[in-house]
This record gives sequence, structure tokens and C-alpha cells, in this order.
Amino acid sequence: MKVEISRRRFLQGSVALSIIGGTSIGATSLLSDENEHGEMRIMTRTTNTKAQKVPFLCGMCVNKCAGVARVEKGVVVKLDPNPYFPKSRNMLCPRGNAGIQTLYDPDRLKYPLVRVGNRGDGKYKRVSWDEAYDAILNGTDKFKGLLQILDEEKDNRSTIGYCNGEGLSKEGFEELMGLKIGTPNYVDEISICLETVLGGYSATIGAYGEADMNNADYVIIAGANRAEAIITPDTMDMFKRSKGRGLKTIVLDPRFTNTAAKADRWYAINPGTDLAFVLALTYVVFSENLYDKEFAKKYLIGYEDYKNHVIKNSYTPQWAEKITNIPADEIYKTAREFMSSEHPIYYQGRRSVFAKNDFQLRRAQAIFQGLSGNLDKKGGIIYGKKLALPKEDVNSPMYAQAQDRFDKEGIAIFAGKTGSWIVFRNMVLEGKNPYPVRAMFMRKHNPMAGVPNTKKTEEFLKKMDLNVMIDILPSDTTMFCDVILPEASYLERTSPVASYGFLEPAIVQRRAAIKPMFESKTPEVIYKELAEKLTEPLWKNSLKYDEDVQDDTKGMKVDELAKYYKENGFDLTEPWEKSVEELNKERVVKAFGEEAWNTLEEKGVYYPNMDKYHKQLNPNEYQYYPEDKKNYTTKGDKLKVVVNFKNLAKKGVDPMPTWHDEWAFKVPDGQFRLVTGRHAQFTQSGTTNNMALRDLIPTNYIWINKREAKKRGIEFGDMLEVKSSVGKVHIKAYPTEKIAPNMIFMLHGFGGSSKEMEMAYGKGGNDASIIEDKIEPVYGAAVMHETNVEIRKV
Amino acid sequence: MANYGMALDYKNCINCKACEVACKEENGVQLGADKHRIWVGVKEIEGLWPNLSIASSTFEPSQCQQCENAPCQEVCPTKATHYTKDGVVMVDADKCILCSYCMEACPYDARYVKEDTMTVDKCTFCSDTRLLRGETTTACQATCPTKVRTFGDLDDPNSEISILLAHREHRTLKTHLGTKPKLFYLI
Ligand code: SF4
Ligand code: SF4
Ligand code: SF4
Repeated sequence: MKVEISRRRFLQGSVALSIIGGTSIGATSLLSDENEHGEMRIMTRTTNTKAQKVPFLCGMCVNKCAGVARVEKGVVVKLDPNPYFPKSRNMLCPRGNAGIQTLYDPDRLKYPLVRVGNRGDGKYKRVSWDEAYDAILNGTDKFKGLLQILDEEKDNRSTIGYCNGEGLSKEGFEELMGLKIGTPNYVDEISICLETVLGGYSATIGAYGEADMNNADYVIIAGANRAEAIITPDTMDMFKRSKGRGLKTIVLDPRFTNTAAKADRWYAINPGTDLAFVLALTYVVFSENLYDKEFAKKYLIGYEDYKNHVIKNSYTPQWAEKITNIPADEIYKTAREFMSSEHPIYYQGRRSVFAKNDFQLRRAQAIFQGLSGNLDKKGGIIYGKKLALPKEDVNSPMYAQAQDRFDKEGIAIFAGKTGSWIVFRNMVLEGKNPYPVRAMFMRKHNPMAGVPNTKKTEEFLKKMDLNVMIDILPSDTTMFCDVILPEASYLERTSPVASYGFLEPAIVQRRAAIKPMFESKTPEVIYKELAEKLTEPLWKNSLKYDEDVQDDTKGMKVDELAKYYKENGFDLTEPWEKSVEELNKERVVKAFGEEAWNTLEEKGVYYPNMDKYHKQLNPNEYQYYPEDKKNYTTKGDKLKVVVNFKNLAKKGVDPMPTWHDEWAFKVPDGQFRLVTGRHAQFTQSGTTNNMALRDLIPTNYIWINKREAKKRGIEFGDMLEVKSSVGKVHIKAYPTEKIAPNMIFMLHGFGGSSKEMEMAYGKGGNDASIIEDKIEPVYGAAVMHETNVEIRKV
Repeated sequence: MANYGMALDYKNCINCKACEVACKEENGVQLGADKHRIWVGVKEIEGLWPNLSIASSTFEPSQCQQCENAPCQEVCPTKATHYTKDGVVMVDADKCILCSYCMEACPYDARYVKEDTMTVDKCTFCSDTRLLRGETTTACQATCPTKVRTFGDLDDPNSEISILLAHREHRTLKTHLGTKPKLFYLI
């Protein structure tokens, strides 16, 4: 054993933190000598000293769990769960705990940067904020600025594309880019994530709803992996009652997940065939008359057509067995058990789109749920309520020169606001855009790792005249940007208040635990300052090219013109006149009064009667609302399940879920179907540089069936090349029986190519670089599980 | 004076490892996969795809068992390992000479070497952090999504842990060794 205090060890604990707290870490430029802190590890220890306790909302994933930050001498030393928030139920997951390592990540973006080398070579210059904004507006000798681009495009605002990651500051960026600057060309995580599940459920039962896992007694969970892809409160409620303790759990997944480990039964379903399974369940229910007839008559529109359709097409369990790999008698058993349970739920399954038929799958699931009658009631899928917060409308200008968005190729129902990442990118690459797209404004989004076919994303980014990124870490995408603006992490900012609805609604607020470190700024301050920089020059550009504006303002005097500019929303800064803190207070006081605001400030959570309702039940559990105040039933007679959705046919979409043979699962000999997914210890590529989480999952492996691996002489840890039609990755093998012989699995989010993210760089493989860029036909959402690959030992 | 123990509703465990991270942040446990006070034991699944035995796949959260009859304490030549008045087995870093006898003696593999001090370390039930400040839960208990753990005073008949143990069947690990562990796995 070596007894030596290395730099790394010396830097641990409070020593490291006081250094960082004093921002001397900032002395190392982001893009300079990375070896300096190559081995560094940062951890904390709490002490007995007086500490501030600041309520925050976790920003490590989409759930936004409530926590309390323990701040000692200006350093965040511990994140504890906040027992007031009904959604997060007094817990923080591993990522939530490791938020400290994201806050103090030595690789964080610390100053504004402007590119001085070629795109992708990592050469940047540290600049002041004003210089950075100026580079966005006016460009440098390396790239064109926004003003020149908009001048050349004659004020067609749509020449700007923008993308945004999920979070509480998302809306502000959309206001700035979409409503104020005026481009419709927006893409975000929706079209590479759960678009069809939201769309399918909304089209069928009017909402995605919330599964009441506390009271359900039977659940089918297919594809969604709630033990590893944590969704609150579902995850917490579900696994306290699985394993013979009240919630019978049936899991369908091509691989054996931690969720499967908690199941009563696990079915190794073929990828992309869940729809056949649900249709067969439905067949059993219709042919054996197991459905809730009264409920169906009252609420299920067109269910008789569907009954005929399902029977006529003979979607029998025997038929489905061949497609799904699930024995027919198991399908009969599951259907009968489901319908004879008191509170059965076919879990909606928040996850990305896996197969082309996903929209129809979700419709079929929602209808099946409707057939049980277990909707809008305790133990079923509920709608709940939301506490309303007042919101001021943004005064959005009209730009005559701005054109419509075009990313509609191959899409039946154009989703409007968020578009399709793949279609947008590919049409631009193939020159199918009716006008040039020349700039990308990006925030907290990493399409290089998130959008299938990384090569194309890289080409797309290289095609732009101007790429701007607002983020906290130098992601793979950041490295293709011209101007980089460092954002404060979620622990350094107060975010716009949020309202969480459903069974036990609440208002929540994230308060800054510490001030923004280095030179980072909160997103809303960045929006404001960017707006201040751009507003006058862009207005002048509109005056120069926009005929409507010219007509309107002809002959106006200076003060009249100024008034026109304000009144018609051309003043881009207007939404940020007040700070987030001021706006939060204003909105909450207006809706719930001064006392509510004080509670929210102190506890991070507020809901009417919280002081009366909120009770600790035991050391672990709380009551948020008394049973009779929970919003189990809120729809009543307004409930509606659209079974036969005739209007869909006009768009070329099946009005009722229908199986098409081309969806059958097929893998050519010698190849494998690639499936991807999540683990509980990280959230996509955004957390892969987190040193505490890296400890838990240092890299991703490729799961390959043990027997198949043996045949090919592959052993644990062997490096494999995995190749699809769009790219290849190198990744180490993990032989296991948890996956079928003709499939392989890899965790999403790994294989970072940005050298500036020391912990993430080169670890494992990036699935986006081998997943083919296929879309499903309804919204154009990316389809993740339809790529076949070849593997070989290297 | 208390007699601290912990009950684990281990069937709730989803192997998310929130407990492990929370413990590290709270107690200054070094990062590094081989350094931890707390862990989840996972068994390799039995069977051949698709006929896998779900029952064979279990998650067993574990940490120092806070033995009432601790072999680690018996073998420590400097008395660095000792019992506190609250029945917690602790290591006094000032006295530890890293002979590592305790690591050999522990039947539960609960000890590791803390490399900044080069002394032996293990779960302390957060005695010198949270409990010292008057908190009543350990870091691992507080953060757990599915609320696997209940920490408390076994000598207090009204504590949640006493009530749980009175009402629910439970077992201890390697009971036959006579170490009298104070981690109870609820069945
Ligand atoms: S689930 Fe985990 S990462 Fe997501 S918000 Fe909650 S604590 Fe944070
Ligand atoms: S936090 Fe709870 S559920 Fe997660 S691994 Fe630890 S004991 Fe298991
Ligand atoms: S589990 Fe090991 S370290 Fe803990 S008290 Fe028992 S023998 Fe000592």
C-alpha cells in the first residue's frame, strides 16, 4: 500500500472545496491544461458548524425533486430531500445527491468563450460577456454575426434555428428566440423522447395522466424501466408494493432490467411488438366480454367499431405469440387477471419512442385502460388538478419576412411548436429547406449525443454560419459552437416558480443555494442581456426589410417610432424587465397571498392548507393531503376515451390501432438488434462528467447474450466494434443472459467526444452515433430501437 | 444512551445507489468505487434467456452490521475500534495503525482503507455528522427513494424500529457467527 499524499488526495474534502469556493480553480482556463486536474475528485463532508438550509429543486433530471441544500461557509456540502413536496416524496436519487459534483465540476464552463480556431478543434479565447454578445451580433474574423446573416436574409428570422433542453428556464429561451426574435424553427428533446406517448394518450384519453401506483393492485409495465429510469412519484410508490405486497407487477422488456427483477412475471418481448401484445389482450377482453360495459357505453367513443375491428382481424393471443415471443396462454392469463383486478393499470410508460408504431401502441394501451373502466378514479390513471399561477403574455412582434417552418416531410400530424429534430436536420442537410438555415442558438442541449446519427448532426452544425451555446459544461455539441456562454448550474440560481399538478398539487420554487460561480450567469440574466444587445440592431434590420413595418411606420417621428417599437413588441427586452425573484413573488402573492409566498420561500413548497394537511407519519413517510382531499376524480362526466378516431384517417393515420406486418421483428443472420436505455445513476449525456456518478458507472458496456458471446469467443471486457449503416463505436463486452441472442444493449449517454469533459471523454460508446435516423410517421419522432448492427472483436 | 440499529425493508430496494452517494457526501467518504461504507449486494441471475429466475435476482443493501459482538473490536490492538455509548462501533482515526486485523476479522467485509488519513473506515451510522447535530435519520435512510431503511433506538420500545421489529418477521446476516448484528432485514 502506498502511503503518499498525491495532489489528488490532497485536493479532497474541504480543502478542495475551499479552493473552489474561493474560485481559485477558475485560474485554470477551461480549454487549457486539462492534465492539471485530470485526477481530481471532489467530495464533501458535513460538519457541526452553523449552516444555511436552502430549499431547491433538483436539476439533474426532469423530475425536479425538492431538496434542501446545506451550505457551510459558502460551500454546498450536502443535498438532503425536502419532505414537503408530494411529487418527490422526501427523497433524492443518486444523481440528486451527486448534484454537488456537477456544481463543482472542474470542467465547467467558467467564462464566455469565442472560437479562434476551426470548428471542433477546441481553440477558444476567454472574453468578457460584452465581447461575447458582441461576437454573436457582429461575428469575428472566424464567423459571421447574426446581424450580417439577418441582413443577407432580408430579415427572415426563420434563418435561425434553436434548440433547448428540458428544465425550469426552458420557457424563457423559447420566449427570447421564438416569440421575440421571431423564428419558428425550434426543436427540443420532445421529438427524441416521449412525443408519441404524450400524443397518443392525449389523443385518446385527453392527457397523459398520472398512474396512481399507491392504490393500483395490478400493473403492466412495458418498455418503461421505472427502477432505473426514475420517475417520481411512480418509482417510489411502485416498488414499495411490488413483490407480493399488493401490486402485482407484469414487466415486458426485451432485456431483464432492474424493473424486471421486481416483477411477478417478466416477458422477454421482441422489440417493437408491444402493439401486437396489447391488441391480443384486447381481443381476449372483447371475445370474453371482460370489459366494463357500462363504462364503455358511457365514455368510450366508437368502442364497438374497435371490437369488430379487433375480432375481425383475429388479433388472437396465438397470432400475437408468433410476433411477440410471449406464449398465448400467458397473454390470456394476463388479460383475464387485468380485467378481474380492482385497480389495474396498463402503465403509460414515459420513455423514448422505440418503434415506428409507438403512437398506435399508446392509443391501444390507453383504450385498453379505458376498457377496464379504471380511469379518473383512485387506483387508476387519474387526471388530478393543478394550482394556477398567473402569467403575463409576451408581446410578440410580427415579422413579415419570417417564413414558416418546413420540417414536415414524412410526417402526418405536424406537432407545431417543437417540430422534429431528425426531419429538420436532415432536410437542411439535403438542401430541402425552402430558405437557408444559417444559425443555431442552443441551450442545455446536446444533439451530438441525443439525436440519432451523430455524423449528420456534426455536418449540420458545421453547415451553420453561427452556432451559439448556453450551457454549464463543454458538451460534444458545445465544441462545434462559435460563442459559448457559461450558465449557472441549478444550485446557483433561483428559477421561475413551477406548479405541479395531479393528485396532490403544489407550487414549488428553486432557490439559489450559492451565487453563480466563476463568471457564469443565470439563464434569465443571459436572456435579458442578449436581448439588450440584439434589440436595437435587429429592429433596424426589420425597418430596413420588413414591408409591414415600413408601411406602418412611414412618416413617423422619432418618439412615435419608439412607441411603435415598444407597443408592437419589437423591444426584445420586455419579458425580462423584472428579475426572476421579483416575478416569482409577484405571481405567488397574486394567486395565493403573502403568507403563501413566505411559506414557499422558507420551505420551497406551498399548497393551500399545507400547514394543516402536511404530517409526518413515520420517520420515512409523510402525508401531503388527507385522503379525502386528494384529486382522484376530477373529470366526471367530461371523461372521454376516443377509440375510433376518424379524423386521423384523413391524415393517413389508422383511426384505430391496427397491426401491420412490416412491423414484425426481424434481424438478419449474424446481426443484432440494438436496444438502448438507462440506469439510475445518470441522466443521458448531461451527467456523464459527474465524478460521483462516474464512480458508480465508469463506462457503458455492450450487453451480449452469454451463449452468443461464447460462440464468438467474446469475454467480459473484450473490446468490440459495433457497426450499423450510419457509424460504428468501440465498446467493451458484458456477456449476460439478461438479453436475447439476437440483440445487444448499451446504455445511452456515454462515449463523449469532447476532450474538455475529462471524466466523460472517450468512456464507452455513443449510441447516437450508430442509431439510424429513422422516424415514426405520426409526429416524426426519432425511433430508437430499429437499428440492426454487426459486431466484431477488435 | 441509546442502542442504535437499523431495519431494512430490503425488498423495496431498486439498487439505485442513492444511499451510497448520500453517505459519501455526508461523511467525506472518498470517491472511488472501492471505497464505500455502504453498498448493494447483487446476485448474478440464474437461468438462460428467456427463462430467467426472477427470484434469483435480489438486491441486498448492506453496510457495517454494527455487531453487538464485534470481531473487529476484539482484534484491534490499539483499541481504535470501540463501542460508543450508543452502541455504535467506531474507529478512532488517531489510534488506528492500519494493521488491518479488523478488516480480516470482519465477516461482512464492511471495512475499507481511507486513503487521505490511511486509516480504516466504515459506516458510523452518521454518528459524527448527522446524529451529532441532533438529526434522527442517517444519510442513507433520508435519501432512499423507496424508503428501505429505518434507523433508531432498539432500547426504546416506542421507536419506529422497535415497532417494526415487533410486528414484522426479520432476519440477520450470518447469524450463526454469533456477532449479533444490528441490521435487521425485514421479510
Ligand atoms: S429523480 Fe433524481 S435526478 Fe431527477 S430530479 Fe429527482 S433527485 Fe434529481
Ligand atoms: S437508496 Fe434505497 S433503493 Fe437505492 S440502492 Fe440504496 S437502499 Fe436501495
Ligand atoms: S460488520 Fe464488521 S466492521 Fe461492522 S461491527 Fe461487525 S465486524 Fe465490525
